[in-house]
Amino acid sequence: MLGKNVRLTVLFIIKTKTGMKAKIKRLRLLRRVILLVSCLAVLLCTSYTLQAQQVTLTGKVVSAKDNNPLPGASVLVEGSLLGASTAADGTFSIRANTGSKITISSVDYISRELKVTAGDLGVIKLEEDPKSLNSVVVVGYGTQKKVSVTGAISTLNMVDKEGQPLTNVSNALHGVPGLFVNQGNSQPGVDRSTIRIRGVGTLNNSDPLVLVDGIEYSMDELNPNDIESLTVLKDASAAIYGSRAANGVILVTTKTGKGVSRTNYSYYYGIQKPTTLPDAIWDPIVYMNLKNQAERNGGKQAVDYSDAEIAEYQAGMATDPFTYPASNWFDIALGNGIIQKHDLSFSGSTDKYSYRLSLGYLDRNGIMIGPGNKENKYSIGLNAAMNVSKNLKVGITLDGYYRNYTQPFYTDFWNYLSRTLPILTDTLPDGRYGNSWLRTPGRNNWENPRMLTDNGYSNKEVQRFLTTVFADYKLPLNITYRIKFGVDKYDGLLKAFTPRMQTFNPKTGAAINWNSPSTAPRSGNTDYNDMAIHFFNTLDWQKQFGNVHNVSAMVGASYDNFGHDQFAAEMTGYLDATLTALDAGTVRQAISGNTTKDVLESYFGRLNYDYDGKYLLEATFRYDGSSRFAPGNRWGFFPSASAGWRIDKERFFNSDFIDLLKIRASVGKLGNQSVALYSYENAINLGQDYSFSGVLSSGAASTAYADRAISWESTTTYNIGADINLLKNHVSLSLDVYRKRTDGILRTVNLPAQIGNLSGPKQNVGSVDNSGYEITASYRNSVGNFTYEVSGNIAYNRNRVVNLNGQILYNDNTNLSTITKEDNQMNAFYLLEADGIFQSDEEVKASAFQSNATRAGYLRYKDQNKDNIINGDDRIVVNASSIIPKYTFGFGINLGYKGISLTSFFQGVSGVKLYPTANLAFPFNNGANATWEWATDAWTPDNRQARLPIVTESTGSQDNFLPSTFWLRDGSYLRMKNIQLAYELPTKWLSKVKVTKLNVFINGENLVTFTKYKDFDIESVLNASTIYHYPMLKTISGGVNLTF
Amino acid sequence: MKNILLLLVLGSLIAAGCNKSLLDTEPNDRYVESNFWTSPEAVNAALTGCYAYLRNTGVFGTDAVALWEETASPNAYNYSNSISFNSVAKGQQSATVGGIVSSRWSGCFGGIGRCNTFLVKSDEVEMDETQKDKMKAEAKLLRAFYYFMLQCYYGDVPLILEAPDRDTQSDLPGTPRVEVIQQVLKDLDEAAALLPVKYAAGNNGRATKGAALGLKARVLLFEASPLLNSGNDAAKWKAAADAAKAVIDMAPQAGYGLFANYRNLFLPANENNTEVLMDVQYMYPDQGNSFDLICRQYNTNAPLLDLVNAYDMKNGLPITDPASGYSAATPFANRDARMYATVVYPGDTFMNVKVTPARFAITGFGMKKYSIYDKGPSPASQSDLKDGQSETNFIILRYADILLMYAEAQNEFSGPDASVYDALNKVRTRAGMPVIAAGATKEKLREIIRHERRIEFAGEALYYNDIRRWKTAEKELNATIQKYDGSGIESRKFNPSRDYWWPIPQTQLDLNPQLKQNTGY
Repeated sequence: MLGKNVRLTVLFIIKTKTGMKAKIKRLRLLRRVILLVSCLAVLLCTSYTLQAQQVTLTGKVVSAKDNNPLPGASVLVEGSLLGASTAADGTFSIRANTGSKITISSVDYISRELKVTAGDLGVIKLEEDPKSLNSVVVVGYGTQKKVSVTGAISTLNMVDKEGQPLTNVSNALHGVPGLFVNQGNSQPGVDRSTIRIRGVGTLNNSDPLVLVDGIEYSMDELNPNDIESLTVLKDASAAIYGSRAANGVILVTTKTGKGVSRTNYSYYYGIQKPTTLPDAIWDPIVYMNLKNQAERNGGKQAVDYSDAEIAEYQAGMATDPFTYPASNWFDIALGNGIIQKHDLSFSGSTDKYSYRLSLGYLDRNGIMIGPGNKENKYSIGLNAAMNVSKNLKVGITLDGYYRNYTQPFYTDFWNYLSRTLPILTDTLPDGRYGNSWLRTPGRNNWENPRMLTDNGYSNKEVQRFLTTVFADYKLPLNITYRIKFGVDKYDGLLKAFTPRMQTFNPKTGAAINWNSPSTAPRSGNTDYNDMAIHFFNTLDWQKQFGNVHNVSAMVGASYDNFGHDQFAAEMTGYLDATLTALDAGTVRQAISGNTTKDVLESYFGRLNYDYDGKYLLEATFRYDGSSRFAPGNRWGFFPSASAGWRIDKERFFNSDFIDLLKIRASVGKLGNQSVALYSYENAINLGQDYSFSGVLSSGAASTAYADRAISWESTTTYNIGADINLLKNHVSLSLDVYRKRTDGILRTVNLPAQIGNLSGPKQNVGSVDNSGYEITASYRNSVGNFTYEVSGNIAYNRNRVVNLNGQILYNDNTNLSTITKEDNQMNAFYLLEADGIFQSDEEVKASAFQSNATRAGYLRYKDQNKDNIINGDDRIVVNASSIIPKYTFGFGINLGYKGISLTSFFQGVSGVKLYPTANLAFPFNNGANATWEWATDAWTPDNRQARLPIVTESTGSQDNFLPSTFWLRDGSYLRMKNIQLAYELPTKWLSKVKVTKLNVFINGENLVTFTKYKDFDIESVLNASTIYHYPMLKTISGGVNLTF
Repeated sequence: MKNILLLLVLGSLIAAGCNKSLLDTEPNDRYVESNFWTSPEAVNAALTGCYAYLRNTGVFGTDAVALWEETASPNAYNYSNSISFNSVAKGQQSATVGGIVSSRWSGCFGGIGRCNTFLVKSDEVEMDETQKDKMKAEAKLLRAFYYFMLQCYYGDVPLILEAPDRDTQSDLPGTPRVEVIQQVLKDLDEAAALLPVKYAAGNNGRATKGAALGLKARVLLFEASPLLNSGNDAAKWKAAADAAKAVIDMAPQAGYGLFANYRNLFLPANENNTEVLMDVQYMYPDQGNSFDLICRQYNTNAPLLDLVNAYDMKNGLPITDPASGYSAATPFANRDARMYATVVYPGDTFMNVKVTPARFAITGFGMKKYSIYDKGPSPASQSDLKDGQSETNFIILRYADILLMYAEAQNEFSGPDASVYDALNKVRTRAGMPVIAAGATKEKLREIIRHERRIEFAGEALYYNDIRRWKTAEKELNATIQKYDGSGIESRKFNPSRDYWWPIPQTQLDLNPQLKQNTGY
């Protein structure tokens, strides 16, 4: 017994010793101490008889943040002094009794205890210790220790999204606290999300400023796989970006090489389908009868389809599906989409240099039939830095995309698809595109979706490169000078070609020309040529006085120049559709082009002070000059201040329960300069032409009013927050309460048409408040090998217009029926109040006059002002309704057992309303179809309790379709955004084939959604007024991630 | 320390701080007000901008606004309710109905604003004064036209004669309609005094003296009509007759007359002919309209049976007259030649194809006037003209209108005198119709002249306003409209206490609470 134990211990020592060669120097001492203690322990313990069975434990310790192995982590058996430490690849091996516990710990990480059960513990993830002094977050023009942060900051580590089929980075931000992320569609090439941080404080552009490694750039022009993390600055911490910061700032940090040289390859493949499509009527007989009924109900005596035609159709369906089709166009025109992506990267670092080179390839084929629905993206990322001398470090970054995507030439495809009818013939027996032999008003051209996806194209190629060079130079007195210069080059070429197309009457063979010989075939090219130059330089200084006073300061200057060039040309006169180059045409149709430039010049600085890490103070300023305003209004000053108090570090605070307690507060001023270029100039526009005697005479006129005095929107933001860790850091909580007041909001003031029908000037009017709170909580723990984490967040934002100088804005920046006025939220719905359905014509007569079409079955509107007539004066501001959600929330779970992990993330919004209109949202819109609900749940004399009013055409008979509360829908939803099952193969298998890591995973995106709205994908209706656009997709994908 | 300061300064210099010119960027794709009004070319371009508003959606548009206007009358039907004209026809127009009810308001004011700017700003430019005065006269005629159109539908409207200025014009209430008309007449008189009778080649479409005088006749005829002349003031009829007479008197010198062929009058080949006093000019391909697409394919201006039945037989007798020779078996035979030039009917030949009732399924009839398509095949390159591609000019005012305006006003003022018959019969003779013999009563002749206007101008956007000013809309627009075979399409309603005037658009009431909504809305 004794001998065996000693032998094993010696073996263990030898094994550990050989492993030591690869270890980092600084850990040697620690290792020796552990070894010594271990040996001693073994000697002391030999006299005991061990009851429990001894096993050899193996495992691998990694950082939960990025799954990188943690070398040098210590593994100790509880109750003994047995221990080991991990090798360079994070693996370890130790003997222990079953039933005992081992503790795994590493500097900067939270220790974990595991119960010894079996031999292989698999991958053990350690969470970063938030109290750790070395844990840093990226902030404006620098980094900060996490514990010292005084602002409201959220971070997203992209490693959490590993394996998910992300096409764009913005789509990864769902669920970040305080952000409303809305993906309007999944169309290949343009499937990006809009992001709103803490509500909307402006009537202009509300997009946050995005900086990639400190340079303004689109996060969606980066390969998601090249991104390390994103930091969202939500409060005054954004003030250092001054005039562009009012909508919040997102800092994107790209991956750099760290540690030993590694090659990483990952791949996934997925299949995609639409989440929800309208339940359109695809039964031709039901359709025709209901359409006729709708026309009769609307007062028409002549209906579209005669009884004879319907009878003929019914009879013919059995024998001739070409002439008498029952076309389900969603089935015909839509199929499965395919997505796949390859990523390959090489990275590593030494004390002399670091590098990371990555290549990516994304291939998507959308859900539409035909060739016009593809996307390819080729990316390259390079991040290299060298220590040229003791004091000088230089580097280069390159983030490049070549991407192209196609759409059908007729970008109205989804509109056309939403207008198809079951009576529309797909193709004739000989393959020609069909139309219908039934005359249907509003359908003169019979847009055949197959024809429109098969022919022509609109192909956009984009090359965009962000290239930066930077240098850090260490000066005396602990001062560092940093300089960075970046060029953002965007080259886009849009090529479109449309051939001549015809559909044919399935009965008579008569053709309908889709486009006329004079306009097709036609080819058009548009060239986009943008270049932005960015430059900044900073001086950093930090020093500690008397061991407790930590002071740091930064000052800097920057220059940003944005240039846009565009040029377009169009040709007709092509012989056929064979040649599509501009040169192959003979008739020049149109040529246009323009150039703009705008400039931003800035000075900024930051001062930090902390006393022993307990009292934290920070102040920043920015002084911005922008060419977007008239001389005299160009410069703006944006200061901020914030403070934090680490209560847990106070001597009087002594708690085993609370591990971290920090309260923080901030106040700052932010600006917004997003107003169209030259808005301050009274422009005389060319192109107001007229022809005399058939000869064009060029005309010029003013079309808009300008206000020369316009200047910055300025937002003052206040934030109070607390970060709390409990129960040995298993629980972490973060709370923030904020208020943002935006003054001088810039908006287009509408003028009555009597002032020359000019569009109004951009002007600084009024103030808007956004206030709210954000709560984030997470709990993580482990039971033996089983680790689990649940986390959730909820954010509430309330929007209120404080002052508009007495103005009222109608339908502002939206084509919905909305109102923006004082003491209300921005863009509240402004509607007639629907008050049930008229049950009899007598009731109609006894009520206020609506229109001379009103009769039983129609919607009844409330006569708010009791003047016995329903008109614009009866509209009401619908409280608690807005196009921006009040609540955004998300929660996730993360379960792990040895190498297996299951993660899922849910996301949702509530307190938001929708108002979709037109095709399929409303029945029979100018010759379009209707949804089944109108056949089953519309008012009839026999179905008086129906949800919907009597069926009528929504065009021509508008009475029921006036903007009213009846059509206002609840936009709340909860969506399972992602669920992922992953398995990390055991190290012992992999080491034989020299593989460091191999993960396999399967993913589901958007699989489950809970919502009351069933007509279309809820998320993609939130920002739209119609339900015809590329829907959101659900994706099932699987892939691997391999490191060696 | 020295080094640090040096670096910071260097950094700032690279950032080019302190150099204010860095932020100075100027647009190079547009003029700004301060550098625009400097040359005669600029003045010319600004005047072109005043004309350009004729093609605004609220005025005559780039599609077929003028043809759709007919669908608010008993002559035609717009099944798809293009720019809300069918809502107007059914008496369902409201302040929020949109379409023409809102765009006519803004379109007219847009034109007015440009003319006002021109009349003020052109004074800042040094150029040939005679030329400038003539150009200002053109702008005055256009301003008068836009104001006439505006008040015609809405009644009281703000009268603004200064360049657009939001500080002084935002909250102006409606000016009494009569004051607006006074200004319109003043502008027309001033324009007539300076405008040329004719232009050199290449300037067709510009405002002429004849246009100014002809418009004046139209304005005065509206003022004399029952809708606006409830006391039937004979002086108003006289003023209208005199104004029309002034144009008739200048006709020989100006070269005005009736174009020989009624059908060809509306074809591009004969544009700017002797009968045209004022038109909207269109040009292929960028400055076109959609007349041909609407008439050939969309059928959104489908003629109604009521119009077709209104055409007399070739012998001058109405089809209801047993002696007319009308046969229900061959209803479209032997009719007024103008019917064949205006309407395509079942049994007709159109674009080389025999017409079935299904060809124009909406009513069975198609509109031919203002389309280049006819019985024969069309040239291949023009067989399928699409949106905004047709170049046919739309005639706002033609000499036949002057003659019938004169006949109407003179008959009301003096009763049926020889000059009345003469004017009326000139129009009928050109159409190949028998003359109206003398001896009718004033009332009888009134009916004949009104009927003649309907037939002569069918499809020319005049009849809706004619039945408004005659106050007969309440009869004509309270009816079930019918297809070619007499089957009903839908019933129209007209509320005489409300529907003679359009509602002021809700957006305008919202933006300027000083405006007062018209009665009943």
